[in-house]
Amino acid sequence: MTFSGAASNSRIELARAAQGIYSLLARIFGSLPTVRLVRSMREEQMLDSLAALGISFEADFLSVDEERLARELSREYTRLFTGPGTHIAAYESVYVRGEGETSPRLWGQATGEVAEFYRELGLEVPEGKTPDHLGLELEAMAVMTQAQADRLAAGDDAGAGRLAAMQERFCREHLLRWIPAVCRDVEQESDSSFYRSMASLAAGFVEMSCTGVISGNLPEEVA
Amino acid sequence: MRTISRRDFLRLGAASTAVLAVESQFRPLARAAELLEGGRSVNRTSGLPRSFLPSTCTQCPAGCGIIGYVEESRLVKIGGNTKHISNAGTLCARGQAGINALYDPDRLLKPLKRTGARGQDSWVEIEWEEALAEVAQRMAAARSNPQSLLFLTEDVERDPLGRRFTHAYGSPNAIGSAGIHDANKKVATSLTWGAAGDIPDVARCKYVLVFGANPLENNPNFVGMARRFVDGIQQNQSKVVVFDVRLSHTTTFSHELHYVAPGKMALVALAMANVIMQDGLYDRDFIERWTNVSPEQLAQHLAQYSPERAEAEAGVSALDIRRLAAEFASTKPATTITDSVLSGFSNGVQNERAVMLLSIITGNIDNRGGLCMPRQYGLDEPAPAPPQPGVSVFTNPENVAFPSQQAVAQVLRQAKDRQAEVRVLMTHSVNPLYSSPDEGLNEDVLRDENVIPFHVAITPYLNETAAFADIIMPETTYMEDWEIEVRPSLEQVPFVALRQPVVPPLESARSFFEIARDLASRIGGGMEQFFAFNSVSDYLKARISSVGGLANAGGLDYLKQHGIWFDPKSRPNYGSYEAGGFSTPSGRIEVFSPRLAERGFAPLPSYETVQAFRELGERELVLTIYETALHTDGKTGNCMWLNEIQHDNPALINPETAARLGIEDGDKIKLIRSSKSGEAKERSIETEAFLTEGVHPDVIAMANGVGHTGFGRIAQGEKFKKDEVRHRELRDANFQLVWWGDHGGTGVNAKRIVPIEMDPIGGGQAWGDMVVSVAKD
Ligand code: SF4
Repeated sequence: MTFSGAASNSRIELARAAQGIYSLLARIFGSLPTVRLVRSMREEQMLDSLAALGISFEADFLSVDEERLARELSREYTRLFTGPGTHIAAYESVYVRGEGETSPRLWGQATGEVAEFYRELGLEVPEGKTPDHLGLELEAMAVMTQAQADRLAAGDDAGAGRLAAMQERFCREHLLRWIPAVCRDVEQESDSSFYRSMASLAAGFVEMSCTGVISGNLPEEVA
Repeated sequence: MRTISRRDFLRLGAASTAVLAVESQFRPLARAAELLEGGRSVNRTSGLPRSFLPSTCTQCPAGCGIIGYVEESRLVKIGGNTKHISNAGTLCARGQAGINALYDPDRLLKPLKRTGARGQDSWVEIEWEEALAEVAQRMAAARSNPQSLLFLTEDVERDPLGRRFTHAYGSPNAIGSAGIHDANKKVATSLTWGAAGDIPDVARCKYVLVFGANPLENNPNFVGMARRFVDGIQQNQSKVVVFDVRLSHTTTFSHELHYVAPGKMALVALAMANVIMQDGLYDRDFIERWTNVSPEQLAQHLAQYSPERAEAEAGVSALDIRRLAAEFASTKPATTITDSVLSGFSNGVQNERAVMLLSIITGNIDNRGGLCMPRQYGLDEPAPAPPQPGVSVFTNPENVAFPSQQAVAQVLRQAKDRQAEVRVLMTHSVNPLYSSPDEGLNEDVLRDENVIPFHVAITPYLNETAAFADIIMPETTYMEDWEIEVRPSLEQVPFVALRQPVVPPLESARSFFEIARDLASRIGGGMEQFFAFNSVSDYLKARISSVGGLANAGGLDYLKQHGIWFDPKSRPNYGSYEAGGFSTPSGRIEVFSPRLAERGFAPLPSYETVQAFRELGERELVLTIYETALHTDGKTGNCMWLNEIQHDNPALINPETAARLGIEDGDKIKLIRSSKSGEAKERSIETEAFLTEGVHPDVIAMANGVGHTGFGRIAQGEKFKKDEVRHRELRDANFQLVWWGDHGGTGVNAKRIVPIEMDPIGGGQAWGDMVVSVAKD
C-alpha cells in the first residue's frame, strides 16, 4: 500500500494497522482455531470495530461456550479446507490455471511463482507448507506491511517504497486473481457465521488494500 | 463490507493486534531476520546474508535447473529453479545432494602424481605447474600419432570442451560411456524417424504403455518426466500399463503390471501391433502418408507374432494382449515410454523398434500427448572449429553396424587387443572401472603400462578409475564451473540453460576449461588456436551466438540471471514433420529400414532370440541390474545423504524360485557368471538374498549405484571424525554419523561379472543378456 498523502506518523500507523489485519486473517485461514483465538475474537473491542464495517456474527458464534466453540470451529475448518469429501482447496494454483496447464492443480504454475516471490523477498516456506495457501499469502502481506512500517519508522523512505512496490506486485500477480473467488466459496460453503464473516472481511480488505482505497487519502469519516 | 474510514481501519488494526498478542505465536512463513527485498535473502537461523544463483544440475543426464543458496561463500542448499522449463522447480534427491559432491571429504584439491605401481594407491601431491608441464610434454611427444589420444568422458554430447580438445589434438577418439545405457534406443530411433531419442508427451496423453522403463525412479529426463507422468495420471486420468521384470516405483502408480520374461518384451509389443493391424484399429492415413510400408505389407509381416505365441514365450496372457491392444489403439492420444529393461539386450535396437511401431501404426507420432521427437537447440562450435579428425577403430568398431560416438563400451578391450595404439589416455570425470561391464578386464588394461603408457585423470575425486592414473588433475565440480547446457525439451519448446559457479572453486581446483586451454597452449603445434579464448565468457558467448532471440533478451547476462532462456513466444510445434518430412533417407518413418537390410539385419521390426537365454539351467536366472532414484551410475556414490538412504543392494528373488533353489530370505548367496567355453576365470559376486514377489521368477535383480571399491570413504561406508578430513572446507560434523558401513555394508557392484557384449546393430551394452547360476554360500 502506498500512503503517499499522509503525514509520516500516520503512514506508519496505517501500515501497522494493515499488518495487524493481514496477520489476523492469515491466522484465521492458516490454521485451526483455538480457545484463545475465539475468546479474543469475542472481545468487545473486536466486535465493535468489525460492526463499524458492517461485519457481524450470529448466535452460533456469539452464544456458545468457548471450549465447545473452538471444537466446533476446528471441525468446521477441517471440513471446509481439508476434507474428507468435497472441500475448498485454498491454494492459488487450484483457482488460477497456469499457462499450458490443462486443468487447475495443486503445486501448479502459480505455486512456483509464489515460491519465487517469497524467495526474492527473503522468506522461507517451512517444510510441509505449500507456498500458495491462502493463509501463507495473507501472511506474506503481513510481513511486507510490517517491514514497510519499520522502514518508515527508520526514515528509510526508499526502502518503504520498494516494499510498497512489492505489495503492489503481489496483489496484482496473485491476491487479486483468486482471493475474491475463494472467499466467495467460503461464504457460500461455510455453516459457521465466523468463517462466513471472516471471508467477507478478507475479500473486502484485500480488495481495498490492493486497489489503493486505503491510502494516505483515506477519509477521516465516511458518511 | 462497507467502505472503510481511517478511524475504523486503525481501530480494526489495533483490535487485530490485540487478538494476536494473546494468541500463541503464529508464523507460517519463516521470516528473515530483516526483510531484504529484491534478490537477497537472509538465513533464518544464523541471520547470515544469503545469495543465490541459478545453475544446472549434472548429477544425472536430465540437467534440471537449480538454485544454489550461498552464505559466506559456502553452499548451504540446492533448490529447484522454477523458471526451468523441464523441472519447473522440482528436484530429486540426487540434485539436492549435490552439496555432498561439492564438499566430499575426500575431494582432491591438489594435483597428484603416482609414486608406486599403477593402481597401488600411493601418491604425492604436486603443484599445478608440474602436473600441466608433464602432461603437456607427454601429449606433445605422442602427437606424432594424434589418433593415439583416447579421451573418455561421460557423454560426448554433454562434454563439448572435451570433444573440442580431442579434435583439436587431432584425434577422433572422444568416447562417451553413457552409450552403454542408451545407445540402442538412440540408434533405433535414428534409423526409424531420423532423430536420436524420443520425448513421450506423458502429461497430455490418455494412455501410456511402459515397456521396461521406470520414469518415477530413473530416466534420462528424470524429474521433469516423473512430474509429467504423474500429471498425466492426475490431470488426464491417463491409464498406465507397465511391462517389466520387477515391481518398480512406477508400477505402484500404474493400473496394471504385467511381468514379461526378460528380453522378450518385443514379442508382446509385436503381438499387440499384430492385433491392431488384424482388427483394423490402425491409422491407415498416417501409415500410408508417413511411413514407407503399406498396412497390408505390415499386417502380413506381423502375422507371425500371435498373442498366443507371446503368451507361450513371454508369459503375458493372450487375452490381456488383445484387450490392451484394443485399448491402446482406441484411446487417443496415447504414448509409450521405454528404457533399459527393453533396450539393454543384444536385441535392444529391434526391441525399441517393435515398441515404437505401436505409436506409428496408431498415428501417435509427434502429436500432442503422443510420442514426440526431441527438440533441442543445436549449438555452433565456436570458431575456429577444429577440423573433423575422421574415424578410428574406437569410434567405429567393426562389430557394431551403426556406431554412435556414445555407443562404445569396448574401447579398453580394443586397446588391450592392440586394435590401435594408445599413447595417452585422458579420462574426464568418468568412472568406467565402476560403470562398465567386466571390471576385472578393464582393471588389467589400465594397470598395464604397455597398453596404456600414460593415463591422466581429470576429476574432482579419486574414484576407481582415477586410482589407475599416472597424474590426477583436481577438477572443479559442477557447482564451480561454467558450461552452456542444452537438452531435449519436455515441452517441445527448445531452451538454452547455463551452468555457472554458485561458489568459487575450492582451493586450487581448476575448471576443465582452464586445464584444456592451458594444455592446448603448452602442447602448441596449432592446437592453441582452438583455445584462444580470453576468458570463459568469450567461449560461452561463442557457444550461444547462433541461438536467435537470446542475444536480444540479454545473451549470457540473461542466462546468468535466470539460468535458462527459451523463446517466450514459441509454442510446442507438434507435427513438425508435416512441413519437411522426417530426416530419414526416404523422408518417411522407415518402418522398413533399408539401412538394416543392407547390413543383413531384419529390416522390419522383429523379435530376435537372445542367445544367452536359450536354455536356462536348473539353478540359472537372468540378472537384472536396475537403477534407483538415489544413485546415478558411477557418479553419486560419494554423496553422504544418498548413501544413507540407499547403501546396499541385496539380490531380489521371487519366493517361488527361492524355494526351488533352497534359498531363504537373508541367506548368503553367490552369483556365478555362467561360463562360456574358453573363459579363463570364473567370475562371481557374493551377496544376500531378499525374497519378494516383486520380481519375475526367472530374474534375480540387484540395484545399481552402490558397491564402490574406491571413490573415498563415504562411498565405502567408512565412519570418521571431522578432523580426519584433510581440507578444512570439506569438514562436516556429520561424518561420524556414517552408520551403514557397520550395518550390512555397502553393497556389491553387480556389473563386475557382466561381460562386454553389445547389440550388433546399436552397440549398446547387452546388460540383460546376463545369465548367472545361483549358489548358496
Ligand atoms: S533429475 Fe535429479 S539428478 Fe537429475 S538433473 Fe534433475 S535434480 Fe539433478
